[in-house]
Amino acid sequence: MRLILYIFLLFLLAFYNTILGELMSIAGISIDLAGLMVALVALYRGEATAIWFAIGAAIVTATSRLDLMPYEMATLIGMSIVINLICNRMNFYSQASRMIMLIIFLLVHNIVITAAISTDAIFFALFRFILPGIFYSIIFGWLYFVVHDGLFGFQRAGSVS
Amino acid sequence: MALFPTIFRKNRRNFSYLSAIILLFLVSFSGGEVRPFLGYLSTTIFYSPFYRFKTNIEDLKSTAEENRRLKNQLAESALQLSLLNETRRENQRLRELIGFAPPKDFRLIPVKVVSLLQHFYPISAVVNKGSEDGLYENQAVVNRYGLVGKIKEVMPRYATVQLLTDPSNPVSGRVAQSRQIGIVKFSPERGMYLDNLPADADIKKGDLITSSGLGGIYPPGLAIAVVDTIYPNAGEILKNVRLRPTADFFEIDELYVLTEDKR
Repeated sequence: MRLILYIFLLFLLAFYNTILGELMSIAGISIDLAGLMVALVALYRGEATAIWFAIGAAIVTATSRLDLMPYEMATLIGMSIVINLICNRMNFYSQASRMIMLIIFLLVHNIVITAAISTDAIFFALFRFILPGIFYSIIFGWLYFVVHDGLFGFQRAGSVS
Repeated sequence: MALFPTIFRKNRRNFSYLSAIILLFLVSFSGGEVRPFLGYLSTTIFYSPFYRFKTNIEDLKSTAEENRRLKNQLAESALQLSLLNETRRENQRLRELIGFAPPKDFRLIPVKVVSLLQHFYPISAVVNKGSEDGLYENQAVVNRYGLVGKIKEVMPRYATVQLLTDPSNPVSGRVAQSRQIGIVKFSPERGMYLDNLPADADIKKGDLITSSGLGGIYPPGLAIAVVDTIYPNAGEILKNVRLRPTADFFEIDELYVLTEDKR
């Protein structure tokens, strides 16, 4: 059953890369959906699941640019292992720590991929594209945390009323 | 019979690590075969439904508009063709006089963009034709406004186009009016610019920059950009020229792959 969910997520990633990404992009700033999905899987699921999902996401993401595949794969797998180990071994389960892990994940992923494309004007890209892109992405990450951890849901909304 | 699943379950973590390392090694060091294979799998399984959907929508949207545009274009082209034929014959005669080889003839393979990779700005596109349609690496890709990029990787039914907005894809350009040569580059900070142009080069705002043909990938004469701004160059040996690409890289949909005509 879980496998179907991960396959669905990969389809969602392909849909985002093909159609949705252009629509959701604001002044060239877009969501790093691959990084976001892999980070969330690594934060909430086991190590092996995180690795396999990172492999799948790297392949799907790098389809438009095959020479970036090793960088995508190395970053997504490496970072998913790192944040999974940190969260599980050091008991970082609070929302704040998860959010920090997510930001670090997205920052490393974007910097590595930008540098793999070109190191020219990387600091410009960092401030003009990468940091706003991460901010845009963590809005969705935060929404996931809020819904997943039950900080806002139908039950809670009912109890408030 | 249940031995292998049991071993797999008990060593799932180690098996995952090992698989990741092997796959990463294969993708990094024998990428020539493995990457196109994985890309093909990914396009076939995950992307092709969306590619087809997008292509159908684009087709529906653009058919009527395209029809009107093509009719106008056809009339203009017919006129231009008659003028060009005359110029071509004259050019041929002149080339024969001075002993130049005639330029290669090209034909166009129309392709549709099914996915545009935007790493903050568009750097690469996936098109709906591949090696089965006669595409191969390093073919020039144009649209109706000018040069767009080159074929980077080819899969059986799809190919990736490395756009000129990819900073790792510089192209040798020529100022059409003065015939001086520079390198057209793209930087996220500066946009498209002309590099390696001497400070005393004869260039002015509005000049057309075309491909020079040096490097062997792009044929000469394809429009790349128009000179937008020339910055004052006090004491520098090279000119600082900002360009405006003739093609809008955020709006590319129909492209043409230039292929050598073997006829």
